[in-house]
Amino acid sequence: MSTEVVQQYETAKADSNWGLLSWFASVDHKRIGLLYMLLAVFFLVIGGVEALLIRVQLAVPNNTFLSPQFFNQLFTMHGTTMVFLVGMPVFTGFANYLIPLMIGAKDVAFPRLNAMSFWMLPFGAVLLYWSFLTGSAPDAGWFSYAPLSTKPYSSLPGVDYWIISLAVMGIGSVAGAINIAATVICCRAPGMSLQRVPLFVWIMLMQAILILITIPPLNSALAMLLIDRWLGAAFFEPARGGSALLWQHFFWMFGHPEVYVFALPAFAMVSEVIPVFSRKPIYGYAFVAGSSSVIVLLSYGVWAHHMFAVGLGMGANIFFAAATLLIAIPTGIKIFNWTATLWGGSIRCTTAMLFAIAFLVQFVVGGLTGIMFATVPIDWQLTDTYFVVAHFHYVLIGGIVFALFAATYYWFPKITGKMLDERLGKIQFWLWVIGFNGTFGVQHFLGFMGMPRRVYTYADHPGWATLNAISSVSAFFMAAGTLVLVWNVISSLLRGSTAGANPWDAFTLEWFTTSPPPVENFESLPEIKSRRPVWDANHPEQADWKTSTTPADNGHRPDKAKTSAWAFVVSEAIFFILLLVAYVVFNARVEDASGPTSETALNVLRTGIFSVFLLSSSVSFWLAERHLSRGDTTGFRKYLAMTILLGVVFLVGQAIEYNELIQDGVTINRNLFASTFFTVTGFHGLHVTGGLVALSIMLLMARKGYLTPKRSKVFGAIGVYWHFVDVVWIAVFTIIYLGFLQ
Amino acid sequence: MIWDHALWHWTSLAWLVALVWVALYLIVFRRAAVHGLRSLVLGASLMVLAFVSPIGVLADGYLFSAHMVQHLLLLLVIPMCLLLSLPKEKMAQWFENARLDRAGRMLSHPVPGWVCGVGAMWLWHVPVLCSAATQNAGIGCLRDTSFLLAGLAFWWPIFAPVQRYRLPPLSGISYLFSACIGCTLLGIYITFTTITVCPAFANPVDRLHVLTSLYDAGLTPAIDQQLGGLLMWVPPCSLYVGVIISLLCRWYSNTETVTPPESPGGYGRPFSTSAK
Ligand code: HEM
Ligand SMILES: [Cu+2]
Repeated sequence: MSTEVVQQYETAKADSNWGLLSWFASVDHKRIGLLYMLLAVFFLVIGGVEALLIRVQLAVPNNTFLSPQFFNQLFTMHGTTMVFLVGMPVFTGFANYLIPLMIGAKDVAFPRLNAMSFWMLPFGAVLLYWSFLTGSAPDAGWFSYAPLSTKPYSSLPGVDYWIISLAVMGIGSVAGAINIAATVICCRAPGMSLQRVPLFVWIMLMQAILILITIPPLNSALAMLLIDRWLGAAFFEPARGGSALLWQHFFWMFGHPEVYVFALPAFAMVSEVIPVFSRKPIYGYAFVAGSSSVIVLLSYGVWAHHMFAVGLGMGANIFFAAATLLIAIPTGIKIFNWTATLWGGSIRCTTAMLFAIAFLVQFVVGGLTGIMFATVPIDWQLTDTYFVVAHFHYVLIGGIVFALFAATYYWFPKITGKMLDERLGKIQFWLWVIGFNGTFGVQHFLGFMGMPRRVYTYADHPGWATLNAISSVSAFFMAAGTLVLVWNVISSLLRGSTAGANPWDAFTLEWFTTSPPPVENFESLPEIKSRRPVWDANHPEQADWKTSTTPADNGHRPDKAKTSAWAFVVSEAIFFILLLVAYVVFNARVEDASGPTSETALNVLRTGIFSVFLLSSSVSFWLAERHLSRGDTTGFRKYLAMTILLGVVFLVGQAIEYNELIQDGVTINRNLFASTFFTVTGFHGLHVTGGLVALSIMLLMARKGYLTPKRSKVFGAIGVYWHFVDVVWIAVFTIIYLGFLQ
Repeated sequence: MIWDHALWHWTSLAWLVALVWVALYLIVFRRAAVHGLRSLVLGASLMVLAFVSPIGVLADGYLFSAHMVQHLLLLLVIPMCLLLSLPKEKMAQWFENARLDRAGRMLSHPVPGWVCGVGAMWLWHVPVLCSAATQNAGIGCLRDTSFLLAGLAFWWPIFAPVQRYRLPPLSGISYLFSACIGCTLLGIYITFTTITVCPAFANPVDRLHVLTSLYDAGLTPAIDQQLGGLLMWVPPCSLYVGVIISLLCRWYSNTETVTPPESPGGYGRPFSTSAK
């Protein structure tokens, strides 16, 4: 049994100078967390300004303040910014900052990977905003529906910037999610069983898993769109046999779970704030944790409710409607849990608590309009009107942003050591409540009246001008509220009252250390025997473990290299599954038999033989691993070299095949068979190449004698990946070469 | 129309199978088993339902979706009922036998069970096999038996009557989660593909003269297949989610996990001792 829990090889070195430059090189999870949050705030302001411009344009009928093109660019950039540069980073930031503190760890599992994940973001952001300088920012909406986003309809490079920056940020998010998951699973302090982690930690673990499985559909769609635009394929061009609907399927397979990627952290935050300010433990911990886990599963099965209007067929519509109603149940249960926590608690109406309560109310409104949309005929009536805009802003702002404000007021003292001013906080709260409901409440009515979304202006229909004016004016209340917050932050930093370690008499471990926490996070930890260790330490006579037991920690912590390898493999598997789905979709059709097909173009026997090489490399890898664990380094090196060689032979075979196909005029833009074939096998080839690079580095390390059996854990992790690449090939071979499913 | 005499197959062999189950159960477990009898009777009645009712009759060459309901009953629901009906103490005794124990342990590994459960779904929906099993009674019987066996193997790591063969809750959850993804993919494929997954249902031989009324009710082959795909997808996943929830409950209430001896007087324990 190992109690070796908080092992961190690469713990952040104490940066002795806190100068500006040290932030760029920092791998401390707290600094990186803060960087994430600051980036999010910066883009919240940018995206907010874009929104205000949109609202100014819509304030009066027949306005000409903005040109139609610029209007399109603004709502596209607004949506993209808010989703990818505000929503994603801000929650990753909170998770980064808080999770190691809450589980009693010194840092995240992979501090360097963490820094890399962060720096992908500004890189992607610059790419996205660079497009403005080229004079053509993306303007096809945040979901870039095909065929509008394909070359014939968007020939300027805006969409290209959009694709690349999203791909870059997506990779960063996946890396970040792997890190969070590995941290929670592998780095908990002794006593902190998974059933005892704060709800924030558990729900953020679920969110990390959701990110892992929800970004790959987006990435595969982006890859295909890019191939369409740059290499002349036609995945999403109906005019050339492609399917614009496929884009919608892939996009919403990402897009719907993505809304839960935002909703889960909001749940996580209020699940910490509400109990502390009600001075009692959360009502039904297991319910909240369990229903959040179930959401991960269910959220993956309802994407087509965004597509009720495209004609999927009655059967599909009904099932997706039912599934959508189903997913409202776990969310509804949680509303009851929070309400029941408030019930009978001694409530302290701090600003954080006010925001949390407003979250409850407004999220329910957003949820109810969501349920309305789940009923197909209502959706047909209201889709693409302002009712949709109202719905998702009630969820995203009324719910999620309000939860974020609650979190800000709650954790600011921990992060800075200073309290935020409560009076200013309440002013901000009311400005936001009025501004938000004023802006988006009236949009429900505009939607019923038929005002379409995403149109740059409107005629002077009865009532429209008044409602839109209310909406536009109210938006400025939110802006004013934000200025109050900024002022509050600055003045608190300059002359706020000192917070102390635990100003709220809160329950979880982050409040056990000083505010702000030292680089090493903790000098000591209390004994963890329940879900509220700090409460137990401060109120020993009413300690939780005396009255209710929780499953104890069995001390088992999986190896973090293997854990993260598995997480990565799951994510990659989904990427390949979707590419294969695209292959099957485009090659199962009987009607378009023009041009090469898998039967006419491929040499199954030869590729079969080369496949044997790849598959036997898995065996030789396994042998290498066995020799390594026995400490036989020569044997190990021999088999490792053999693995690499076998992999190279396979790649050579692929090169021969490609060459022959291209000689015969079968290029990626020839027809849909060729496009899907090259896409699937090409990505697989890239993965083989990546694996070979990793193996070669290992071989080099083994040569130099760096590879002790102790470091062999990393080797095991690479093994997970290598076997995975082979399994993918088996699937590719059976589907493409053997024609299974056609 | 449901009560149309032609749609019921009162002389089905399923009666026999169900009766044999109940009889065997009563003989073997006698009094030990009042508890599990309910699950067993449920399983046996579903067995009858799957073959005697219109589900079974229409599954026989008319409706792909009816076939799918039958398939799900045989592969998922009935085996689950059977496993849950086995009395625990009796089984604990049985599985002390070394041979049985070895078998039990082998099945408790997640891979074979998963492959059986998900594999059975995929394999029998390869167009050729699907048609063959529908048109040829022998192959059909083989298929139904293989569903029952595969189902038992699939549920074993979750509902084995002896605790030590069950996966730990979190592994059980990943097991079911991935199985859900497996049937989701197949479901999506069947729902949205334009090719006919089971040609036998595309042009049914109208031996019972109900085809027109089926078509009138909107169950044309295209719709039928779409419905089948969705059935393949949503009900099994809902079942898995239900079981996942029960596993989660067990996980959270499970307080008797082995505890490592915790060092006394935890407050102020230096952090560094916990590392390494
Ligand atoms: C009870 C839960 C929910 C239900 C039943 C629900 C249902 C729906 C439906 C059916 C639509 C499609 C409307 C249309 O385009 O015609 C939709 C749109 C949308 N929902 Fe929800 N939703 C729920 C929760 C959420 C959450 C939690 C979020 C965000 C965190 C969210 C964000 C969105 C967004 C962004 C859109 C619009 C997407 C677009 O067209 O650009 N929803 N919702
Ligand atoms: Cu959705």
